[in-house]
Amino acid sequence: MTEISSETEPFVAAPPATSEIAPVTRVTAIVVVVGLISTVIAATCDGYWLSNFTQAYCMVLTLSGCALLYGQLGLVSLCQWALAGVGGWVSLRVYHSFHPPFLLTILAGGLGASLIGMVWGLPALRMRGLYLALVTLMLAGAFQTLVVVTSFPVGGPGFLGQVGASGNERIMMARPVFAASDTAYFVFVAVITLLGIFLVEAHRRTKPGRAWALIRKDEHVAIAAGVRIVFYKAWAFALAGFLAGVAGALLAGLFGQLDASAFAPTDSIIIFIGTLLGGYDSWLGSLLGGILTRFVPALLIDFNVNTNLGFMFFGFALMMALRDPLGIGGRLTLLAAQLWTKYQGRRAA
Amino acid sequence: MISIDALTVRFGGIRALDALDAELAAPICGLIGPNGAGKTTLVNVLSGFVRPYAGGIALNGIALSGLSPRRRVALGLRRTFQQELVVDELTAADNVRAIADHVSANRQSGRREVAVAVDFVGLGARRNVLGRQLNLYERRMVEIAKTLIGRPKLILMDEPGAGLNEPETDRLRRLLAAIPEAFDTQLVLIDHDADLIASVCVDTLVLDFGKRLAIGPTRAVLDDPVVRRAYLGRE
Repeated sequence: MTEISSETEPFVAAPPATSEIAPVTRVTAIVVVVGLISTVIAATCDGYWLSNFTQAYCMVLTLSGCALLYGQLGLVSLCQWALAGVGGWVSLRVYHSFHPPFLLTILAGGLGASLIGMVWGLPALRMRGLYLALVTLMLAGAFQTLVVVTSFPVGGPGFLGQVGASGNERIMMARPVFAASDTAYFVFVAVITLLGIFLVEAHRRTKPGRAWALIRKDEHVAIAAGVRIVFYKAWAFALAGFLAGVAGALLAGLFGQLDASAFAPTDSIIIFIGTLLGGYDSWLGSLLGGILTRFVPALLIDFNVNTNLGFMFFGFALMMALRDPLGIGGRLTLLAAQLWTKYQGRRAA
Repeated sequence: MISIDALTVRFGGIRALDALDAELAAPICGLIGPNGAGKTTLVNVLSGFVRPYAGGIALNGIALSGLSPRRRVALGLRRTFQQELVVDELTAADNVRAIADHVSANRQSGRREVAVAVDFVGLGARRNVLGRQLNLYERRMVEIAKTLIGRPKLILMDEPGAGLNEPETDRLRRLLAAIPEAFDTQLVLIDHDADLIASVCVDTLVLDFGKRLAIGPTRAVLDDPVVRRAYLGRE
């Protein structure tokens, strides 16, 4: 084979060769950041704030899926919180029917939402942008209507599991023994969130992530590379649905039951705004965006301020996020990368 | 070898390709013609993005008509596009690996092929640099490296030299000339740069208004008065 590499040095002055962050460094950074934030929360927060931060981590999981769809494929999905509701419904249904171990209940919620997410994602094979956003928003609305009519299972008879004519009591979903207290459950949810972030990162850095990157760049390029467009888009929707479903199941574990009004389409819109605000292209963006989407309403409630003010905040945040596509997480990641490069440069010198 | 038989492509009332007949057997073939001559349409028909109205096309005796673009990729057909389409968020090597994921026999051979292709185009030292940090020449090299993965049988390059300066075009020329022997493949080159075509291509097909204007050894074709008048604008 002819080797001519030595003759093909680039002629145009190249920017500094900043390499991609090594996987070990990335994993360490994720564990350290999530670990530090979670430790501070677990050590300092009371019941109200622990509950809110547990919900915030569920938001982080859901938002990770939303960011995956938007960041990797440019698809705007406004039904992710409804998919969390689907996951919650499935996990409650499975719990009341079979009483499996808690982890299996979460898995069932994730898989149920994953399947529904994939079906809901079918329009994405033909749609993009505003049209896809509208279709997914309508699906979120349809889910809320359905769940308001049928409600979440509470251990009653039949498929819907409602408290019926037999007058049976509502049965709450029990938390796992090892995470019975609020603090322990928060730590448990933090660990699941960490695993969710790893799952997304693993996808972004390997074969599916590269296929998604080609699809986002140009579908013709992806086809010319042998990428199965339909398969990889469906995979992305399934993964995003799985994360949302796990979040819904964790919420069911937090409260023991779920309220039909908690999965409004507006919350799915807030999730998307949180995705833009935090930054859709980094795990830190999903983490910060998820925490903010729950922290702001909780703060308003704590200060006895009308929670509708939260919509004004998120509206303003959306305007700011549109000005800077990197988002808060992206900016911080960039800053960290620059500092890391500078540190390595000094160390080498 | 590419065999084109009475190939016709229509876009509404326009015949982008009009009963085109040609055989391209040389290791490096040029495809030239004025704007709108049907060059990119022919590449799109070969890669399966455009379905012909009539006629057929075959690669090494295998009829391509009816095969999906993915099936053609599996047969060893590779292409680049007019504009470079390197993914900014992936490293140079990962941009190439994105192809290997889908066309290489297995992960080991994929890794090996990526290393060979990246070194071949001279990006060995820049393999872990993100796409957005590569300059235009390097981005063009990534595009070429992508076509060298998975035992290609035919590589279609649509204006690989666009935007490059003279020294870079010289390097590109040497690189293109080495590809058929190094990778046991056929290369079809579309470019407006007649010098690049003349120095690299053994045979050249000239299109004009979707029809064959000339075909044969590149030097003879470029010296043909009809070609000079239609394409170069002088005799």
